[in-house]
Amino acid sequence: MEPIRPGPSPAAAEPGDVDLGALLTLVADGDQAAFETVYDRVAPPVFGLIRRVLKDSAQAEEVAQEALLEVWRTAGRFDPARGSGMTWVLTIAHRRAVDRVRSETASAQREVRAATADVAAGDEVAETVAASLEAEQVRRCLDGLTELQRESITLAYYSGYSYPQVASALGVALGTIKTRIRDGLKRLRDCLGVSW
Amino acid sequence: MRIPGIAFFRRPHDLAAGYALDALDGAELTRFERHLRTCRTCPDEVRGFAATATELGRAAAVTPPPSLKAAVLGAVGALSSARDVDAAIAAVLSAADARIVSGATTAGGTATVVASHSGRTVVFTSTGLPMLPPTSVYELWFIGSGGARPAGLVPPAPAGQVRVTAPVLAAGLTGGDAFGVTVEPAGGVPAPTTTPIVVLAL
Repeated sequence: MEPIRPGPSPAAAEPGDVDLGALLTLVADGDQAAFETVYDRVAPPVFGLIRRVLKDSAQAEEVAQEALLEVWRTAGRFDPARGSGMTWVLTIAHRRAVDRVRSETASAQREVRAATADVAAGDEVAETVAASLEAEQVRRCLDGLTELQRESITLAYYSGYSYPQVASALGVALGTIKTRIRDGLKRLRDCLGVSW
Repeated sequence: MRIPGIAFFRRPHDLAAGYALDALDGAELTRFERHLRTCRTCPDEVRGFAATATELGRAAAVTPPPSLKAAVLGAVGALSSARDVDAAIAAVLSAADARIVSGATTAGGTATVVASHSGRTVVFTSTGLPMLPPTSVYELWFIGSGGARPAGLVPPAPAGQVRVTAPVLAAGLTGGDAFGVTVEPAGGVPAPTTTPIVVLAL
């Protein structure tokens, strides 16, 4: 395995995030104008992430709405000491998407959709608004992981699989999956030069 | 030699990565969250992993449909004004000079007003008012020496035995005003066209 050289750190130098935290403080006081600015900043990753997990645009819109209203209602709980504003918002969004996936009784339908139409499979480059450099770096760092690390992390985060689901999907022992996810996420963290 | 998944993961803080990816569920999640409260190194590790997950999330960004923004901002506006009205109602109800006046109406049921002269506002509620056809509405009035001034419309009570109407907040109370209720055409009118079903002296 080749060591991954850390790249420039887009996550560290993100002045927008500093502002987002300040905006969330205003939102906590009921400032609707501040919330609209927060919306414009976070809606693309919130919606994109949820859609990636749910693999269904209509459901993603519904869950994204719930997540964004949760941001409005609970902005007072945002604690800058525990992470950036974007991390706080995307944690809410990801949990909501995962809750939806795991509660979905018709999970078989989702499997079919997942198999036949992975909405994240690069067929919509034009829609992708993540700064291409940033998305490109994430892709490059994911490519630097071992296949098992990459697949485990991708299934867990982008498909909302739990540890046991990842293990069963990949046919690998649960303990191995836990190790691979932890080691892979560490490598990813170092490669992305994430500051926290 | 370590045996993955058996000896190694007895230490719960090794679950930090899975926690940051929302890959824990059930007992494991509970166990890790309990551990997180006392573990010295875990919060830092979770922060780093969560920040890493954030980069994965950002990389998935796509432009949402415009309908999402309309729905979210619309809901926020509604929640916000409901919260403002609730706060204003609470302020009247807890005002030091709040006075409660209640009376039976000639149509049936009871009208109740909480008035605060210092805040120049009243809150109106009712129980048991007869249901009106959709073409009519109960309208509220401040009644002073210069005549009656509109004070709002009563939202229809939900169907049911008690039929309590939602609190209506009315601002513009002046000294010497009484408070009245009339039945008017839907949408309300600028001056009463019928005899009040109740007049409460404040």
